[in-house]
Amino acid sequence: MIRLTLSQMRRSVGRLAAAGLAIVIGTAFVAITLLAGNVITRTTYDSIAAQFTGADLVVRGVPADDTALDAVRDTDGVATADPQLMSYQQLEAGGRTIFQGVLAEPTDTSVLPLEVADGNLPEASGEIALPVDVAERLDTTTGDTVTLVRNVLEGDQESDEDAWTEVREQLTVSGTLTDPYGAYSMQGGAAVAPAADVTAWDDDLRAPGEEPVEPTTVLVTLDDGTDVETARTAITGALTSAAAGSGTDTSGLKVVTPSEHAETVATEMTGGDNVIFTTFVLVFAAVALLVAALVIANTFQVLVAQRTRTLALLRCVGADKGQLRRSVLFEAAVLGLVSSVVGLAAGVGLGQAALTIGRGMDLGVPLPATVDITPAVILIPLVVGTLVTLVAALSPARAATRVAPLEALRPADAPSGARGAGRVRLVLSTLVAVVGFALLGGGVAVSTVGGEPSLGLMVGVAGGVLSFLGVLVGAVFWLPRVVALAGRLVGMSGPTARLAAANTLRNPRRTAATSTALLIGVTLVGMMSTGAASARVTMDAELDSRYPVDVTVSTDLSSDPVSVAAGDAAVPAVPGTLAGTVRDVAGVATVVESPATAAQVAGDGVDDGLAMTVRAVDPADAGSVLRSTEMVAPLAAGTAVVPEELSEVWNISDGQTLTLTGPDGSLEVTAAVTDLADSGLLVVPDDLASLDADAPVTSLWVGLDDPGDAASVVPTIQDAVADTEAPADVMGAAVERAGFQQVIDTALGIVVGLLAAAVVIALIGVANTLSLSVIERRRESATLRAIGLSKGQLRGMLAVEGLLIALVGAALGVLLGLVYGWAGAAAALGWAGTPVIVVPWRDVLLMLVVAAVAGLVASVAPARTAVKTSPVEALASE
Amino acid sequence: MDTTVYVPIPDEGTAARPTVTPAVRARALTKTYGRGEAQVRALDGVDVDFTAGRFTAIMGPSGSGKSTLMHLLAGLDSATSGQSFIGSTEVTGLNDKALTALRRTRVGFVFQQFNLLPMFTAEQNITLPVELAGGTVDKQWLGTLVDTLGLGKRLTHRPSELSGGQQQRVAIARALIAQPDVVFADEPTGNLDSRSGAEVLSFLRRSVRELGRTIIMVTHDPAAAAYADRVILIADGKIAGDITDPTPESALAGLDALRTVAAR
Ligand SMILES: Nc1ncnc2c1ncn2[C@@H]1O[C@H](COP(=O)(O)OP(=O)(O)OP(=O)(O)O)[C@@H](O)[C@H]1O
Ligand SMILES: [Mg+2]
Repeated sequence: MIRLTLSQMRRSVGRLAAAGLAIVIGTAFVAITLLAGNVITRTTYDSIAAQFTGADLVVRGVPADDTALDAVRDTDGVATADPQLMSYQQLEAGGRTIFQGVLAEPTDTSVLPLEVADGNLPEASGEIALPVDVAERLDTTTGDTVTLVRNVLEGDQESDEDAWTEVREQLTVSGTLTDPYGAYSMQGGAAVAPAADVTAWDDDLRAPGEEPVEPTTVLVTLDDGTDVETARTAITGALTSAAAGSGTDTSGLKVVTPSEHAETVATEMTGGDNVIFTTFVLVFAAVALLVAALVIANTFQVLVAQRTRTLALLRCVGADKGQLRRSVLFEAAVLGLVSSVVGLAAGVGLGQAALTIGRGMDLGVPLPATVDITPAVILIPLVVGTLVTLVAALSPARAATRVAPLEALRPADAPSGARGAGRVRLVLSTLVAVVGFALLGGGVAVSTVGGEPSLGLMVGVAGGVLSFLGVLVGAVFWLPRVVALAGRLVGMSGPTARLAAANTLRNPRRTAATSTALLIGVTLVGMMSTGAASARVTMDAELDSRYPVDVTVSTDLSSDPVSVAAGDAAVPAVPGTLAGTVRDVAGVATVVESPATAAQVAGDGVDDGLAMTVRAVDPADAGSVLRSTEMVAPLAAGTAVVPEELSEVWNISDGQTLTLTGPDGSLEVTAAVTDLADSGLLVVPDDLASLDADAPVTSLWVGLDDPGDAASVVPTIQDAVADTEAPADVMGAAVERAGFQQVIDTALGIVVGLLAAAVVIALIGVANTLSLSVIERRRESATLRAIGLSKGQLRGMLAVEGLLIALVGAALGVLLGLVYGWAGAAAALGWAGTPVIVVPWRDVLLMLVVAAVAGLVASVAPARTAVKTSPVEALASE
Repeated sequence: MDTTVYVPIPDEGTAARPTVTPAVRARALTKTYGRGEAQVRALDGVDVDFTAGRFTAIMGPSGSGKSTLMHLLAGLDSATSGQSFIGSTEVTGLNDKALTALRRTRVGFVFQQFNLLPMFTAEQNITLPVELAGGTVDKQWLGTLVDTLGLGKRLTHRPSELSGGQQQRVAIARALIAQPDVVFADEPTGNLDSRSGAEVLSFLRRSVRELGRTIIMVTHDPAAAAYADRVILIADGKIAGDITDPTPESALAGLDALRTVAAR
């Protein structure tokens, strides 16, 4: 039987190859994921190991008091012992600010894994050595000074409001450093300052007299000739007795070698990050494998159908059902194993290639030179790939056992497809889908109307998964109907299309499975892009309601109107050149300069002594940058626009008369409340001049060409503002949009990239189905050619078949994706305002075009085979 | 008996009957398969004319080259050397596009295995060639065909719902729908019982007599050949005889003569 199976496999090797490719991609995906996880572990290990390369021993969990450190230092054979101390500090130079980890300089600088690029390591207090890239960003070189801005705790921070004092100190840059081993690449590099300075900065963060509690890690170098093991024992002994003397806890104490230490830390760290990463990516690998399983199942279904005669003959000559089932399963096992091996090899190869390219690109993180092949990397893909293939072949194997011996006697016509699936399946899948969709709707309702976002999201996700399952399992019933409908539409365009449409319906099950494979990937991609688009628009709408202008640059936000109005303080002006600079930033459309002063506000029912910022803007100018001119529609001489929020706080009603009193005079205005979101009143420039003749420009209202470009434009504006060193705040919808847009886009990009594997496999499935059909329909193709079908028409017919299968799958996937994406966005973003339902037209179009093109491409190879069929074959008797 | 003639055809046979235009002609038609040792001369310099408006049967022992001759005449396969014509068109030497056009309008086929498209109804199967060619179906001609072939009640049925004889009648209608110059049939009754076979054969004859078609049919069955106006005998890739107005007996005798020649 095995010999027979193998010879049968040899005959169908081409047909199996395409199915095998699906498994190859799936297992390669799994292998790469596991390898990437290993690379993360490895990189973490390497970077930690590098931090300690110079040390002979590392003492972990040393009590943070001087007795312990002294005990280590006094141990025989110990040359130096320094605590590993890194303090994060704010450094400023030329208007730029950077948060930087600063390392305490060890006694023996050979312990430092850093190399001096220029200048020296710090030698005296008040010096600092900066990483090369940090020095560049701060635009400083050796000998320049940078400002250290740090906070000192001078009292009890619980009771004393002014306990914290800001201290600014000048530090001299003694030199610049490189990090050749990437020891601190994961911490954003490390600067180095004298140990005493760093310790002092750290101490200042604690209340006076308070001792540090966190145990530290101490790096030890040994005298030449000292045995590491002897020193280890000696240090442990010294520390234990010192601790016994002072009564401190030494439970975490451990003297280890640098590599042991790195291993421990790496496991601690990656036990978390690594597992999350791997699990996340493996979910997508699972989707890809699911799709691969569909392709495999389909292929075997067709192979069994094509072999009906052979199988029946075998039954006639005495093969029992078990033998036939085992024959199919054996074939699947061989295919699965071979494909998995190829996939594993491909995965390892690709992983190694990516690593080599990554090393060449200088990513700032030192990557290992070769992938780390652990038993898991080999076993998991092999086992998973083979199992998936076997499971996928179960149902075709059962179909093989159902072949009646009688079939051997029937004429050798093209096999008719399997009959429709059972009623149980119909009922069950419908039930699951209905319940699922109900739950999905319920989840959305709970989240938006019910105000329970987390519960709603949970119910929604459960509903989504259930309904999708129902839809997929039930696809056999409804998908062919959709294809039939689409086919009828297409069929109107001519006989070739009608032939194609009729062909797709001959094997409803096969067509359904092929389309479903594509539908899975497209649904998920569609869901993600719809969700992202909805999230983006919902957030945009929310931001738009909060900020009237894309970007505002203002200097008056932190000044107190009451003291300004009283003449006790002055509002700092926006530097004169800034407006011009901002206007020149690419992507900025308009900049409106708005002067402001502070004025006392009096009126019926208004609190006494109220002072407010009064801003002026020309109504025409305002219209050019405001998102909605309605906000300033009433703006005219003698009218003050009052933001709704302020009117509520200060009891100002619409139409009320207010008296404004500024440094140069007072003015009666009519209040006009609008939904402008601002921190002060808005008047026309002439009215402001009568309050304060020399009101300085304190804000710039900036309108962008395209708010969608926020991510690239806003940082440039921020840089321009920082360069002036004026205490200006840059705010606005665009600023926040810039932040989260990038997050959403990156996340979407990653997810879609991961789903691409599933889509590619599904497209292979389309090609596979078509080529199997072509083989099966040889005689028919020949007949059609004999009665006048041209080669072009034959190609066209297959192209239409490919298009139909791919487009129906993609279109339904897009539709489902929209529903899930909307539901997901509604359930997840209910808190951020009314969810806006968006169709990401560009993405939808893109998916349909990709599917259409892929459908066409998938038909090319089968069409080439088909047109080779000579019409003579129609006349052949077997 | 009086009609039984066994005469080798003279080389310049056409010149003898210049008044009748042959629908199909072959000149020195040769086809070889394989190379060297394994080379088979399936057709060996065949010259033959088929008169328009006639029903001709081709007979001969198995492997004698009947099917090969038909394939070459119809342009389904390419000749090694020699020429074949349909009307005044030289079929040998046409490219695929021209051959497709030829098959659409001027040639019809009837196959031993019927070869109907299972997903289409009888009517859709019949009209398919015209639609593939982008033409419109001549309703009157379709009606005539359907009436002649007795398919009136079966038009909406799919092939799986038809008997073998009915399927073959649908196939004949399909072959005739485009009013081709000639219809080729390779053992059209090979898969039918004798009654259905007789039915199909009389329909073929009626298409020739009543509808004025030209039919060339390959058959093994002397009784089937008797429906034809003329039988051409073929042996070892060469024309070996010609019987006008055959009867089952004369056809069988012709075949036997071939066998005795071969046995000698
Ligand atoms: N594709 C091919 N390759 C090689 N040889 C072939 C091929 N087709 C036919 N032949 C050979 O050519 C010769 C003529 O074959 P052909 O099919 O024309 O015979 P036939 O008269 O139709 O026989 P039958 O009555 O059995 O159908 C035979 O010897 C056959 O083996
Ligand atoms: Mg033959």
